[in-house]
Amino acid sequence: MTKAKLTARNVDVFYGDKKAIDDVSIDIGNGVVTAFIGPSGCGKSTFLRTLNRMNDTIAGARVTGQILLDGEDIYDKEMDPVALRARVGMVFQKPNPFPKSIYENIAYGPRIHGLAQGKADMDIIIEKALTRAGLWNEVKDRLTDAGTALSGGQQQRLCIARAIAVSPEVILMDEPCSALDPIATARIEELIEELKDRYAIVIVTHSMQQAARVSQRTAFFHLGKMVEYGETSQIFTNPREVRTKDYITGRYG
Amino acid sequence: MSNTWQSPAMIKRIARRHAAERRFRLVGLGAIVLSLLFLAVLLFIMLKNGLGGLDWEFLSGSDATNADAAGVWGAVKGSFLTMLVTLLLSFPMGVLAAIYLEEFAPRNKWIDWVEVSINNLAAVPSIIFGLLGLAVFINTFNLPRSSPLVGGLTLALMTMPIIVISGRNAIKAVPPSIRNAALAVGASEVQTVFHHVLPLALPGILTGTIIGMARALGETAPLLMIGMRAFVATPASGITDPSSVLPMQIFLWSDEIDRGFVQNTSAAIIVLLMFLLAMNGLAIYLRNKFEVRW
Repeated sequence: MTKAKLTARNVDVFYGDKKAIDDVSIDIGNGVVTAFIGPSGCGKSTFLRTLNRMNDTIAGARVTGQILLDGEDIYDKEMDPVALRARVGMVFQKPNPFPKSIYENIAYGPRIHGLAQGKADMDIIIEKALTRAGLWNEVKDRLTDAGTALSGGQQQRLCIARAIAVSPEVILMDEPCSALDPIATARIEELIEELKDRYAIVIVTHSMQQAARVSQRTAFFHLGKMVEYGETSQIFTNPREVRTKDYITGRYG
Repeated sequence: MSNTWQSPAMIKRIARRHAAERRFRLVGLGAIVLSLLFLAVLLFIMLKNGLGGLDWEFLSGSDATNADAAGVWGAVKGSFLTMLVTLLLSFPMGVLAAIYLEEFAPRNKWIDWVEVSINNLAAVPSIIFGLLGLAVFINTFNLPRSSPLVGGLTLALMTMPIIVISGRNAIKAVPPSIRNAALAVGASEVQTVFHHVLPLALPGILTGTIIGMARALGETAPLLMIGMRAFVATPASGITDPSSVLPMQIFLWSDEIDRGFVQNTSAAIIVLLMFLLAMNGLAIYLRNKFEVRW
């Protein structure tokens, strides 16, 4: 792998006294899709949320160790979590558009960061974000409609467009397809494939088939530890660890 | 097996269940009819006694010693000014307190104690607030006795905890996914609250506020303590002038020996009920207007 976009070293996460993540070190590359797999409660979503400091908003959550974004420590005092989250976007399990129009959903991020000079500029940003998220042709004639009136799959692509609109470098996806039907899931997976050249993408998924389809690298988490990390093809065909093998062959999880 | 379902015992059993169903509906309907009946009787008596006195002279006049000359305008204006002071104070204070407690306050013993205190404050008998108003606003700060200013301040103390509690519930009802969505595109916590959480919570906050205000509008006891029971023959021209308020005017007239005041009392009650009806109507209107459809 070329130079890592995100580098985590000896990361522990605590919820109160409970250790949710135990000594995880990982390099996440640019231009590839990295999948986190593992049984429920293994800590993969918790670890994902350390990468854009969303855990900061949970009372009692504490992160130790070091996480670097392009060599910058994201838990440094100098690092502003607000600016960080614009650089490291996130898409959630359940589509969560704002109860506003499609246009306003996407305009919100660029507006608070002052990325657009005037309405014409904003229109361009919106069209670009929706086009990249593969939603433009479906919604271009009804940008003023409520974002919540779209179908589940469209809503999730709207959320991806919303994340893209603030020009992030990394996109974190926390089980983005678990609330979607197979057709909508396929659309999102195609989209991930299209987006991976521009962004470092990290996806948490319960579906091993999905991890195998969309990712180039896979990390297997179990009981708060990262058990194994490597090329997706190697993890699925020739895992080094017994626990990884047991999981991907359906022995548990 | 099918015999079980066709046996006379089973048929009887099912019939009994249907009968119980019908009985419950009747009892429930009865409960509603009974409670509405009280309202109907109240309205009937008030309209019968008071409608005759409800003319322009009554609506535009002020209190007088003579029942025929007495009007309700002074009290209406006093109530309006008092409510204005109450609203301007308790709404921003209550909403800000609710936002802080719900979204920003750390979870510790001290905040628990604040929460318990606010809940207790909402349950304190209103006469105690009157005593507090007398001691603090009039005796300590020397604000003018009997004025809508002091009345409004006192009622604001009483209304604030109601707004805090209803505000917190409304804020709590906003799904966390909306907060996540805003934070994830790089909104700060304050931006998240003011751009997304507060607008979604607003209908609930407004409903709670208006219910609190309606309660304050009908409140008499605390105003007794701060001297708003004086005979005031000229409507207040500002919030520092002595004034009466509607419920107090009703109380004062109901105490008069002159029979002419019976009609005045009922007419004033009709005016107060109209006032309350208008406020509740406003609450429903605002809730529908700001309600976000998902």
